[in-house]
Amino acid sequence: MPKRIVVDGNEAAAYGALLAKPDMCAVFPITPQSSVGEKVATFIANGDLKADLLDVEGEHSVLSMLQGGALAGARTFTATCGQGLAFMFEPYFRSPNLRLPIVMCIVCRDGITPQCVWGGQQDAMTVKEVGWIQMHCENNQEITDSIVMAYRIGEHSDVMLPVNVCFDGNFLSYAAEPVEIVDEEIADKFMGENNVNWHAALDPERPMAIDPLTGMTAPGGEAFARYREGQCKGMQNSLRVIPEIHKEWKELTGHDFAPLIEEYRLDDAEHAIMTIGSMTGAGKDAVDVARDKGKKVGLIKVKTFRPWPLKAMVSALSKIKALSVVDRSVNFGWNCGPLYQEVLATLPFLDKKIPLVSLIGGLAGTDLTIDHMAEAIKTAEDAAQGKVAEETIWLNKMY
Amino acid sequence: MGNAYNTLVVYPEKCNGCGECEKACAKAKADSTDIVHSRIKVLKNLEDEYFGPVVCMQCGEPSCVKSCPAGALTKNPETGVVEWDEDKCVSCTICTLGCPYGGIYYNPLMSNVMKCDHCGGDPECVKVCEPKAIEYKTEANVYKDQGEREDLFAPGLAACLGCNMEILIRHTLRHVGPNTVLAAPPGCVPGIAVVGINGFTGTKVPSFHPLLTNTASMLAGVRRYYKHIGRDVQVLALAGDGGAADVGFQSLSGAAERGEEVLFVCIDNEGYMNTGMQRSGTTPYGSWTSTTPVGSSLPGKSGDQKYMPLIMLMHNCEYVATAVMAYMEDYHEKLEKAIQASKKGFAYLHVFSPCTTGWRYPQEKTMEVQRQAVATNTFPLWEYEREAEKFAFTHPVDNPTSMEDYIGMLGKFRHLSKEQIDHHRNTVATRINLLKAIAEEGIKPLKAAV
Amino acid sequence: MQTKYLIIGSSHAGLTAAEEIRVHDAGGSLTMLTMEDCLPYSPTILPYIVEGKVEEKLIYLRDEKYFQEKNINFLKGKKVVNIDAKASKVSLADGSEIAYEKLLVATGGNPTVPPVPGLKEANYLVLQTMEDARKINEVAKNAKHAVVMGTGLVGMHAAEALGKKGLQVELIRGRRRAVLPNYFDSDAGKLIHQVFLDNGINCDLDKHVKEVESANGKSKVVLDSGEALETDLLVVGTGVKPRIDFLGDSGIQADKGILVDNMMKTSVENVWAAGDVAQAADFYGKEKVLTGILPDASDQGKIAGLDMAGDKAVNLAFDEIGGQAALSYRGGVSMNTFNFYGNKSFSVGLSLANEEDGYEIDTMSLPTSCMYQKLVFDGDFLVGAVGINVTLDPGILVNIIRLKIDLKDKKAEFASNPLDMSRRIMWDSWRGAINTAG
Repeated sequence: MPKRIVVDGNEAAAYGALLAKPDMCAVFPITPQSSVGEKVATFIANGDLKADLLDVEGEHSVLSMLQGGALAGARTFTATCGQGLAFMFEPYFRSPNLRLPIVMCIVCRDGITPQCVWGGQQDAMTVKEVGWIQMHCENNQEITDSIVMAYRIGEHSDVMLPVNVCFDGNFLSYAAEPVEIVDEEIADKFMGENNVNWHAALDPERPMAIDPLTGMTAPGGEAFARYREGQCKGMQNSLRVIPEIHKEWKELTGHDFAPLIEEYRLDDAEHAIMTIGSMTGAGKDAVDVARDKGKKVGLIKVKTFRPWPLKAMVSALSKIKALSVVDRSVNFGWNCGPLYQEVLATLPFLDKKIPLVSLIGGLAGTDLTIDHMAEAIKTAEDAAQGKVAEETIWLNKMY
Repeated sequence: MGNAYNTLVVYPEKCNGCGECEKACAKAKADSTDIVHSRIKVLKNLEDEYFGPVVCMQCGEPSCVKSCPAGALTKNPETGVVEWDEDKCVSCTICTLGCPYGGIYYNPLMSNVMKCDHCGGDPECVKVCEPKAIEYKTEANVYKDQGEREDLFAPGLAACLGCNMEILIRHTLRHVGPNTVLAAPPGCVPGIAVVGINGFTGTKVPSFHPLLTNTASMLAGVRRYYKHIGRDVQVLALAGDGGAADVGFQSLSGAAERGEEVLFVCIDNEGYMNTGMQRSGTTPYGSWTSTTPVGSSLPGKSGDQKYMPLIMLMHNCEYVATAVMAYMEDYHEKLEKAIQASKKGFAYLHVFSPCTTGWRYPQEKTMEVQRQAVATNTFPLWEYEREAEKFAFTHPVDNPTSMEDYIGMLGKFRHLSKEQIDHHRNTVATRINLLKAIAEEGIKPLKAAV
Repeated sequence: MQTKYLIIGSSHAGLTAAEEIRVHDAGGSLTMLTMEDCLPYSPTILPYIVEGKVEEKLIYLRDEKYFQEKNINFLKGKKVVNIDAKASKVSLADGSEIAYEKLLVATGGNPTVPPVPGLKEANYLVLQTMEDARKINEVAKNAKHAVVMGTGLVGMHAAEALGKKGLQVELIRGRRRAVLPNYFDSDAGKLIHQVFLDNGINCDLDKHVKEVESANGKSKVVLDSGEALETDLLVVGTGVKPRIDFLGDSGIQADKGILVDNMMKTSVENVWAAGDVAQAADFYGKEKVLTGILPDASDQGKIAGLDMAGDKAVNLAFDEIGGQAALSYRGGVSMNTFNFYGNKSFSVGLSLANEEDGYEIDTMSLPTSCMYQKLVFDGDFLVGAVGINVTLDPGILVNIIRLKIDLKDKKAEFASNPLDMSRRIMWDSWRGAINTAG
């Protein structure tokens, strides 16, 4: 029988690891991620999880040890955020290039400065082009389930990539919700055999040089290009694999999460808002309120942000006349939100151009309320009627 | 590496022409007092006082053997001695044409050629040589032992001529053996294609090119997983000083502190030689590098070298030692201890590794620079064994040679002023005094006060 | 049959080449052919077999085990009759063919037979193969009288061997009126000649063969003087020439022998030649020469093997930094030993040179003790030496000549005490080479 418990997001993440049974878990503290490591360490200390606990001296070594472990064949788990992610960047941006299916939570935290230890998706959005798969969770159940699914996605032989399961610091990390933990046997059945390093390994029984110098004169440069092309294919393949895995999980557990994007009351909508992460709950409530008032509004939730689910996105956007995009981080180069910019790049794939509005809010742990979401809905409605906000709208800003 | 053998080493400059060796040889080989039977010949009839023993060199590729039409000369693969078979010999003496060292002679009394056979491993001539102009060297045993192991490094490499690394890598890989995962962070080791290039591997063991910053932690991960699944796989880091003492230090320190079961070899060439000879934390005071240039305003590196071996000792490593390839037996002894220690905890070997290109000295002086560094106490050789609570010098130097002799060999120090050399002397003296104090006091915990 | 390396011939050049190939390429298929029915041996040993100084079974240079260990396909009784260089294959007398990637011709020499009327038809024997040695021994068993034609190394040696077997031996010179004219000047030659006479060998250098008549399996050697020598055993040892009759239209250029460059490569791609069959660089001049010397054959074999299998880049690099003579062939220095009736002699370098040619000659002679020493200097350089029953290290002298060591102010002492001085120079050049490198 699945058991229902009430846990915060960080504990939910640790339960995800407990179900997935990684061989190695690396821990290092940083707010608001620290209790993920604490909970995992406790599971290991109590013998609930038979994994090696890597209590290392910094995030750089967190990921470095996991890389070593994965190269030897280990299933690995860790979590970080913000500055910790920044510090680990050197091994971080190598993990996808090594095609190692490491699973790591990003408990999203805003970027300093001003000094800040609270939620915001600036960390995850900053590393979006590095090559990790990024899945953003709406609630604690989705955190637990997505971590389990992330192993199957990353280890799929058509994918072979590391996966970030992202969830908002503070709003999910510290918020308690009921979560249903599936039976161990079901999780075991779902996880199957470890499939980490069948393609390349640091193993004296089949010696090979992993990552020799590759480039410049033939065949180096050509080999490098072929390697990159394959990596990009793996990323695109995940757009097929992620739904497959979600479907399999649903059939086993009854837990149903939209794999790439979720369309909420979108079918007959004239305009919509787009959300990512925990703000989606407030967004859905605001949509319900607006619907009650007769507004034809819907919502698009982005679950898989990397790779960008272009086809699913085109299909959703084709249903509406205007969209407001709510971001919890900023894109400095474009003076807008990163998610907004992604949608902007999707527009040429639509049959007709639709107006877009960029809203940024919820930075540094501030709340995104139903009111904020209502404001977003209003801007979408205005845009649908031709009144398109030209500048990015900053929510909960001090005046 | 082929087999290595015990050999007679002769020092003509020590010979006084006494001829005792000839007498001993004639007695041993022919039970005669006539030195015509001696297989060692002493130069002693020259106008000036010039002496020297002439004897078979037991060549690796003996031309006497190749010149023998009767198959009467063979090199014994076990002992290395070039053996002469009387039954086969036809006394054609063509062998004497082939030998460029005068190592095989015709003995008119015996109507046969004759040559040194090392007296079966206990040469009589050595015993009677008072000035020690002949020595029977058995040090090569280490080469013999290692020669039988597989060379796990690919043939050919892209190192500078005279580089110390090839010998280090070949010896180290032979010794650690095939059940090893090797990691070599950016630097000269991967620079000479140890980790492979464009689809080709440089070693016969699995190798990885980690980050400059994460060698220790990455290898710790490999070791942890194999241990997790019950396999005993040796992990070995061949890192430069940058990857150990500078930007690699955090992960090294962390792994050592956690007691990760890693064998970490720091190949210290005192700078970033692969990228063009920039300074590192182990670059010595006053040294020229491309980022501590010498000019009218700057006199080379302003600060002192970071002394990594002691820093690592304080990490409670299972084993810490300093070593040079010039003392190969010492290196292998330490390597063996380090391998065993790395099955229980962290083992750290700090190898002083001169760089002919960056330090600017002649290619063939690489070993000599190491010997001088040891002889001047610039790089003292010692080891620390945690479990045995032992700290000891392995090559104590009580009467160090002149610092000027060492500094004078190296182009990177050529500009040093007298004050700078004195600074060096002081640094070296301070370090050796500290090490001696540790050696004298011992590593054991203080006894409880009575 | 197909092989990566094919070596024709199994004496010193072929064996050394195979050894060197295996240093660089442990696994590449290697086939070695001998036309004879036995394991590899050195032709130099044959007079000693005739003499009975050593048993045949003892003198083989390699055994089957060696070939197994080195993974060498050693085939006996395989005589090559043609090389098809275009198709990279050789044809054998038995009609089979062997395709190769790289070929080394190390077939040595064939005895030459002088154009003496009637000789070809006569029942004469030569001494170039093990089979020849066996035949001579067989005939000698029941023979009383032997005629040996030729006063070179083979003829002289055969005469001594047969004399020691109790035969009455008549030794008759070849074209030149001297003994061992390639290695010893007339003073030395006279000493050697006298020893032969003293030991009962008839050898009148004025005698010369006019024709040979054959009857009832016996030969009659008719001299210029009209004297006729009826003999049970006629041995012809008048010289050898390279064995190259199988080159066909392979395009491999040959003069007296197969012409090769400093890596023992022939004019044809993937074909090398080494040893007595090769005509290679001369140490002294520009013309390519035959050397026919055992240590040279080994040197050439090593170089050929290196070039066939070795790392060309390494070799090139050595060449660029000034080179090691061992890594490319710079020409052989003439050298040989000749030992007769318990006497020892050697000849190295320009041993025949004389003062008229501008050389400085230092000789020491004690004819009553059969001792002779000759040192040849070109300015302050030693260029040649001869010794009969003197104590010297010929190998060191060869090296002094080969390395062109300037004796400078040591020359006078060298001439008076060559044994110790040459050993000292050996030391100095040996250690100096190390020290100057620093």
